[in-house]
Amino acid sequence: MADTSIFSQGLSRRSFVAAGAAISASAILAQFGMPAVAHAASDTFIYAIAGDPSVSPNPVTTSDRFGLMTLKLVYSPLWDITNEGTKYFLAESHEVSEDGLTYTAHLRQGVTWNDGEPFTADDVVFSYETMRDTEVANGYSDLNYGDDGVVDIQKVDDYTVTFTFPFLNPAGLEALSGEKFMMPKHIYEGVTDFENNDVNGLGIGTGPYKLNEYQIGQYLSFSANESYFGGTPNIPNVVFQIVTNENTGMTAIQTGQVNAWIGTPAQIEQLNPEANNLTVTPYSENRVSYFCMNAKRVTDEKVRKAFFFSLDKKAIADAAVLSEDYYALAYTFLPPANSWATEDVEKYDRDVEKAKQLLSEAGVSNPTLKFAYSADDSLQATAAVMIQEQAAEAGINVELYGMDATAEYQAMKDPDNEYDLYYGGYIMGIDPDKYSPLFLTEGAYNYMHYEAPEVDELFEQGRQQTDEAARREIYNELQAKIADMAVFYPVYSNMRLLVTTANVAGMEEAGLVPIYTFEDMSKLSMTD
Amino acid sequence: MAKFILRRILIAIPMVLVITMLCFMLMSLAPYDAVDAMVDPRMSAETVAAMKDALGYNDPLWMQYLKWLQSLVTGNWGYSITTKAAVADQLAARIPNTIMLVLPAYLFAYVLAIVLGLVAGAHRGSRLDRCIDAIASVGIAVPSFWFAMLLIFVFGYLLKWLPILGMQTIGDGSALDIARHYIMPFVTLTVAFLPDNLRYVRSSTITQSTQDYVTVQRAFGASDAEVMFKHICRNVLIPVITRLGMAMPLLVTGAIITETIFSWPGVGPYFITAIKAMDYPVVMSILVLSSTLVILGNLLADVLCCIVDPRMRQGGGSK
Repeated sequence: MADTSIFSQGLSRRSFVAAGAAISASAILAQFGMPAVAHAASDTFIYAIAGDPSVSPNPVTTSDRFGLMTLKLVYSPLWDITNEGTKYFLAESHEVSEDGLTYTAHLRQGVTWNDGEPFTADDVVFSYETMRDTEVANGYSDLNYGDDGVVDIQKVDDYTVTFTFPFLNPAGLEALSGEKFMMPKHIYEGVTDFENNDVNGLGIGTGPYKLNEYQIGQYLSFSANESYFGGTPNIPNVVFQIVTNENTGMTAIQTGQVNAWIGTPAQIEQLNPEANNLTVTPYSENRVSYFCMNAKRVTDEKVRKAFFFSLDKKAIADAAVLSEDYYALAYTFLPPANSWATEDVEKYDRDVEKAKQLLSEAGVSNPTLKFAYSADDSLQATAAVMIQEQAAEAGINVELYGMDATAEYQAMKDPDNEYDLYYGGYIMGIDPDKYSPLFLTEGAYNYMHYEAPEVDELFEQGRQQTDEAARREIYNELQAKIADMAVFYPVYSNMRLLVTTANVAGMEEAGLVPIYTFEDMSKLSMTD
Repeated sequence: MAKFILRRILIAIPMVLVITMLCFMLMSLAPYDAVDAMVDPRMSAETVAAMKDALGYNDPLWMQYLKWLQSLVTGNWGYSITTKAAVADQLAARIPNTIMLVLPAYLFAYVLAIVLGLVAGAHRGSRLDRCIDAIASVGIAVPSFWFAMLLIFVFGYLLKWLPILGMQTIGDGSALDIARHYIMPFVTLTVAFLPDNLRYVRSSTITQSTQDYVTVQRAFGASDAEVMFKHICRNVLIPVITRLGMAMPLLVTGAIITETIFSWPGVGPYFITAIKAMDYPVVMSILVLSSTLVILGNLLADVLCCIVDPRMRQGGGSK
C-alpha cells in the first residue's frame, strides 16, 4: 500500500513545533539544573529513619523505636542505665535503702518545662503513678506486679521522691529508668486516652528539643530548647526524615541530602564510605543474635550438644555481618558488651569428631532438624545456610524454613510448634534479671519450652541477692548452666552501623546508645 | 439512562460489601495479627493481652467485622492499630498528594498515547511506526521501580540536579521546590502509564483504517487528513474514552511503588506499611475506597460509552 503520509505537507510545520518543544524543554531543564539540592545547612541535622513513629508520641504508651527517639528529644527520664553506668538526667543522684526495697531520687532543681512552669516532684509522682496504673503503658510491668504488689511512689518534698518495691528487686534502678519519661502534670492531668488527645501535639517537655511539626509519612522537625538543663543544644534544628526505601536512603546519604542513616553491612560495602566522605560508626545495641532449640522435640541433650559442636561461630558471623568490626562473638545469653557477661562457659568450639561421637553415643544417626528463620532478614538467611552446611559435615541434616518474621515469632511461642530450632534476636537491657522472661520455665518468652528448675532457682537467687559480688557469681553460674543445657546458641552481637556525613561531630559526647542512637543530642554538633 | 445508572449503583453496594468481607476473612487467616507484629520480648504478656482485648481481638470474627462495618457507616473510618492515627485524617492528607501525582501524569500519558498511537497507526509499517511500537514494548517491559531508580541514579546522584526524597525540602514549601521534587516521580509515572494506551490506540487505528467506510471515503475523494480526523479518530476514541473511566482507581492506588521509592507522601507507602503490619483498619478502608472507585469507574466508562457512541444509544446498531 502506498505510504501516503497524511502529514507530508505539514512536515515543516511539525519539525518547527518539535524544535520549539525541544528548546523550551531544555530551557526549563536548565532552570532546574541548579546543583546542590537542599544541602543541609549546618544548622540542621537530618537523620533518615525507616518509618513513622506512633502519631502521638506520648510518655505513657509509646514503645516503638521511632516514637521513643522522638520522646528522647522532647522529654527526659530521671536517669538512664547503659553499659557505661548510670547517667543522670532529671535526677542528680539516688540512694538505696538498707533493705534494698526503697529508692530515693534527688531531683535536679531549677528545671523548667518548655512552657515555663517549674519541674517538681509532683510531675514525677504523677508520671510514675500513671504508668503504674495504666495497663497498656510501656512501663506498666516494671511498676505493677499484679498480685505480687505494686511500686509505692511517695513525694517527700518538692525535689525528693521515693519508690518502694513490694519485693526485693536488685534491678530496681533499671526498672525506674530509661524509657520512663517525665510528663508535665499540669498538662496531662485528667487525660484518659493517651493516644488520642489534644495535648500530645503541644510537646511540653524538658528535653533538648521542641517538636515543631510532624508531617505524617514525611518528617518530624524539631528546634532547640534554649533552656535545656543540659545546656543549649549545639545544633539549632533537627529533622527526622522518613525514608522507607533503603536504596533511596543510600543515595540520600551519599548526596548529603541527609546527615545520618543506618545501614546494613552489605549496604555499607556498596556505599564506599571513604570516596563519599562518609563516616561509619559501629556501636553496640546490646543485641544478641541467636538460635534456640525446641527442647520438647529435640529431647536428647547429646544430640543438641552434637549439633552445637558441629558449628563454627566465627565463620557464621563473618558470612552474615561481613566485617569483624561490626560484631562481637557471643557465648552466653548476655551480650558481650554487658559487664555481667562471662566467657567462663562451654563455648562449643568447633569439633566435628566430637559431634559425631556424641551422636553415636546417643544412638542417633543422620538426624534431621527443622530450622525456622526470618526470610526477609538477609543476615539470618546467610547464617541459616552456613549452619546447614556446617552441620552436614557432622552428619546432621538441617532443613531450612524461611518465613515472615512475625509468623516465625508466632510459631516459636507455640509450645507444640513443629520446628526443632529457630533463629531470633533480642535487646533486653542491662540487668541480667531482665532476661528472665526468656529463660524461666514459666517465662512468657521461653521459646525453648523446657522445664529447668535449676535455672528458675538461680534466677530467684539472683533476685534476692543484694551484694553485687555475690550476685555476679550467681549469674556466672546461670550463664554456664544454660550453656551446658545446649538449648540456646548465641551467635554474635551485631553492632548498629551509623553512617554520617563528614560534617557531623560530637558523637562521643552525645553518646551512642541502643534504641535512641544518641543519648543526648544536645551534645552533637556540625562543622561547616 | 437514569434507571440504568441507579441499577448499577444498587448492584455495586453488595459487591463492595462482599469484597470487604473477603478481605477481612483473609486477613484473619494470617497466623498473626497487628498486635503480634508490634510485640517484642520486653513487653510483658499481660500488657500484650490488655492491648489485644482493648482492640477487640477477643471478640468472635463476625463481631469484629460488624463493629468495623458499623463504625465505617457512621463515618468513623477507624484508627490504625500501629500508629493510632485516625485513618480518615491520614487518607485526607495523603490522597490529594497521590492525585497530584497521578492525575497529571495519567492525563499527559493519555494524550501522548493518543497522539503517538494515531500517528503510528496512520503510518503503519513505516520507520516512525516501528519506532513508536518499540517504545511501547520497552515501556511495558521495564518495571517502574527500576526506571525510577535509574532516574534517581542519573539525576539525583551523578548529576545532582534533582532532589530524590519527599515532596518538599523541610522548611521550604515553595512551588519551585515542590516542582523540583515532582519531576522524577512524574516522569516515572508517565512512562508507566503510556505504553498500554499507546498500543491500544495504535492497534485500534490500524483496525479502523482497514474498515469499509475508509475505503468508501477515499473513493469519494476525501484527503488523508479528512479521513483521519473526521472519521477514524471518532471511532478510535470511543473505546479509548471509556478507558478513562476504568483508570479511576489509579487515583488512589496507581502509584504505590513510585511513591514508596521517592518517599512521596501519598497513599502508597501508607498502604504498604499497613499491609505488612496486618493493620486491618487501614487496609480495609483503602480497599473500600479502591473497590468503590473501580465500580464507579466502570460505571462511568459505560455511561461515557453510551453518551459518545450513538450506536449504543439506539440499542445496538446493525453495523
